Amino acid sequence: MNEMRDIIIGIDLGTTNSLVAYADEAGPRLIAGPDGEGDVLLPSVVAFDDAGRVARIGREARAHAVERPTTTVYSIKRLMGKGVADLTEDLRRLPYCIERRSGEDGRDVAAVVLGDKRYTPPEISAMILGELKTRAERHFGRPVSKAVITVPAQFDDAQRQATRDAGQIAGLDVVRIINEPTAAALAYGLDRTEYATIAVYDLGGGTFDISILRLEDGVFEVLATNGDTHLGGDDFDQTLIDLFTREIREQFGVDITTPTIKQQLRTLSENIKMRLSEGDTASVEVAIGAERVYRRAVTRGELETMIAPLVDRTIEACSRAMKAAKLTPDEIQQVVLVGGSTRVPYVRRRVAEVFRRQPYTALNPEQVVALGAGVQASLLAGVQRDLLLLDVTPLSLGIETLGGAMGKLIPANTRVPCRASETFTTFKDGQTNVKINVLQGERELVKDCRSLGVFELTGVPPMPAGIPKIDVTFLIDQNGILNVSATERRSGQTASVQIVPSHGLTREEVRRMQAEALQHAREDMTAHHLIDVRTTLEFDLHKAEQMIERHGRLLDSAERDLLIVEIQSLREFATTCTDPRALNERREAFNRMTVPLAELAITASLRDGNGATEQESAPQQRRTLAPSRAKL
Amino acid sequence: MGADGQSLPTKCLNCQSALTTPIVCGGCHSLYPRPPWADYFALLGLPRTYAIDEKKLNTSFRAIARGVHPDRFGGEPEEVQTLATRLSAEVNQAFHVLSDPVRRAGYLLELAGGPSPAEMREVPGDFLVDVMMLREEIDQAKTANDNDALQRHRESISARRQETLRQIAALAESSADLDEPRRKVLRQLLNSMKYYDNLLLEVAEDPLSSEHRAQAR
Repeated sequence: MNEMRDIIIGIDLGTTNSLVAYADEAGPRLIAGPDGEGDVLLPSVVAFDDAGRVARIGREARAHAVERPTTTVYSIKRLMGKGVADLTEDLRRLPYCIERRSGEDGRDVAAVVLGDKRYTPPEISAMILGELKTRAERHFGRPVSKAVITVPAQFDDAQRQATRDAGQIAGLDVVRIINEPTAAALAYGLDRTEYATIAVYDLGGGTFDISILRLEDGVFEVLATNGDTHLGGDDFDQTLIDLFTREIREQFGVDITTPTIKQQLRTLSENIKMRLSEGDTASVEVAIGAERVYRRAVTRGELETMIAPLVDRTIEACSRAMKAAKLTPDEIQQVVLVGGSTRVPYVRRRVAEVFRRQPYTALNPEQVVALGAGVQASLLAGVQRDLLLLDVTPLSLGIETLGGAMGKLIPANTRVPCRASETFTTFKDGQTNVKINVLQGERELVKDCRSLGVFELTGVPPMPAGIPKIDVTFLIDQNGILNVSATERRSGQTASVQIVPSHGLTREEVRRMQAEALQHAREDMTAHHLIDVRTTLEFDLHKAEQMIERHGRLLDSAERDLLIVEIQSLREFATTCTDPRALNERREAFNRMTVPLAELAITASLRDGNGATEQESAPQQRRTLAPSRAKL
Repeated sequence: MGADGQSLPTKCLNCQSALTTPIVCGGCHSLYPRPPWADYFALLGLPRTYAIDEKKLNTSFRAIARGVHPDRFGGEPEEVQTLATRLSAEVNQAFHVLSDPVRRAGYLLELAGGPSPAEMREVPGDFLVDVMMLREEIDQAKTANDNDALQRHRESISARRQETLRQIAALAESSADLDEPRRKVLRQLLNSMKYYDNLLLEVAEDPLSSEHRAQAR
């Protein structure tokens, strides 16, 4: 690796899981977590304590979701760039509390209430990004400050901005935002040189995208994209939750309202869904009070009937995408499946039917997006230059015209970067500012489209009404993010454009959150991190003591005494030290000290022919056939 | 040569390589702002004619798009990235216009001194009445589920569209030399294409017909 070059990492910030990848000349690879299990998936879950401080991120946070449903935040991606008014369905489903962030200017930004604190979705996403950033820094042994982050292709401007804000809050310069299906195509087509038209069907935990691309000479050109940012595996789970909830009410007259039980049902349902991808039936048992038990066997056919309307929506989107790309199924050579929900056999069957071919499933559907992000990061870092992504904007861009109609400026599926210009004027004599409501969506009326915000042009030279001619340029960049600039034609003066985002944060707020996050992260994580380091340290010390007891005679007495003294001194230090990093450094130094002893111990074990005692084989994990259980 | 007869640079100021487009050097990757008189044809390194070699257009677009794409300039200063983004938008727009025969003809009309079809939305004399009657017939066929009639409409509208496109091509070939009456004819023909496209959408076979959906289950 070239030491002079900036490291740019690729991040898949998912609804359910997040991953971080990096690519060099040898190709892309994922960076695993620190727990030694080589796990590359970081569950996108953040657990808070009662005071609203971050307690755990990832696997451990998810493990506590059932015990602490109201302080464990998952599926935060569904809330990115949204206002409370957009979220009726999610408010009902999610066990944690979501409120409209108290704002001065009529903006509707959702926030999660935790203790006496309120966090916006970008702040919570930033915690997940921060964890991935730390993984990468640990891997490279130096700071990482730049990232490519993937988003669903159907994300609108507000959702993309929110993702970029999350990066900034986490201390990452988001050098590029790329679409998830495009990233997947990049990973898929990396070593392929032949001309091909492919479809990427990406069904994740909370979002669905279908993109059709042409691959030729290292150019990855998106022809069309379609989808739904509120459709995914979470919705499959919900059909089961609804079924169980209804039947429990009918059979036992019990209403499920408490967050803990809701969360239990969610975990059960997710589990049933996954088991039905393997087997034909799966059963649940839920204890109702002390005596009664709700028992239910669900067949695969039953689940398929329930999720059919949801899958129908994805199939319709596939047809729309083919139509927009002006292609028939026979003209598409490969269908690539991405996202955990494509493991569901029914989904695979329906996709095979609409494209009239068996989909390509050789890639790990949960990892391919992150790998593609890693490849794009390496392109931007200059590791390689011979590939190029040509993407499109997923939604039409327009402005509000008289009478509440949407005046389209840039249609959906236009190649980006792209731009459009429009001339505005004033209605009153001497008017010096003009407001423009900018919209995204495919509908005819303003009320059915999404307002990105009101752009206010100021500094228009005072002139009689209708005389100023203000040329406004709307430029959608390669990230799918809108940039607006304006000039007054007569004076040649550049008018300044102020944006009041409808569902987003201002630059100032993002800067403040970044500073706060840094401060909080230090305070919160220190306490938890310290506990972790102490536990690990005690484990290491105990192991060392055992080795000294068994094999200590193989060492010089001086070396042995040194270790014993260090063990004692470290134990004392651990009780007084409040800086986890300092403690961890001492722990690591200690582990280096024990290396010679460990080597001697292994040699001795091998010589004595009892090597197996040192590495007892873990009991084989049995596939459980028992029903999933829960207690109410 | 550019739209106003002003000459375009032929050599890169930085490395003296020959330029195929005035905005980027294929040799040293230097970017240049678009000269205002460089039309879309010039941007993509093509002669200003209606008849276009599609293969050449595609190869040329890809090469130039690759050369100016902001991803290429990852580590460069912000001004360079901003210029790359702007140039990419222009190259994409140029390709969008030139790759479509109707848009290409409209653009040539604009270069010939306009007004463009978008600026003057006129159509041939009785055309709108024709379209209205066709719409009614299509609606009737749909209500009656008369697939044969729909098929006949599909064929006849396609044929008329094809014929209009042929007439457009003949006029656009010599767009620079057309007098205003003939420019008007071209403009009207171009505006009528949109109506044919919409009519074809109305009679198109639905890939998600109820029958197909039932099969999928």
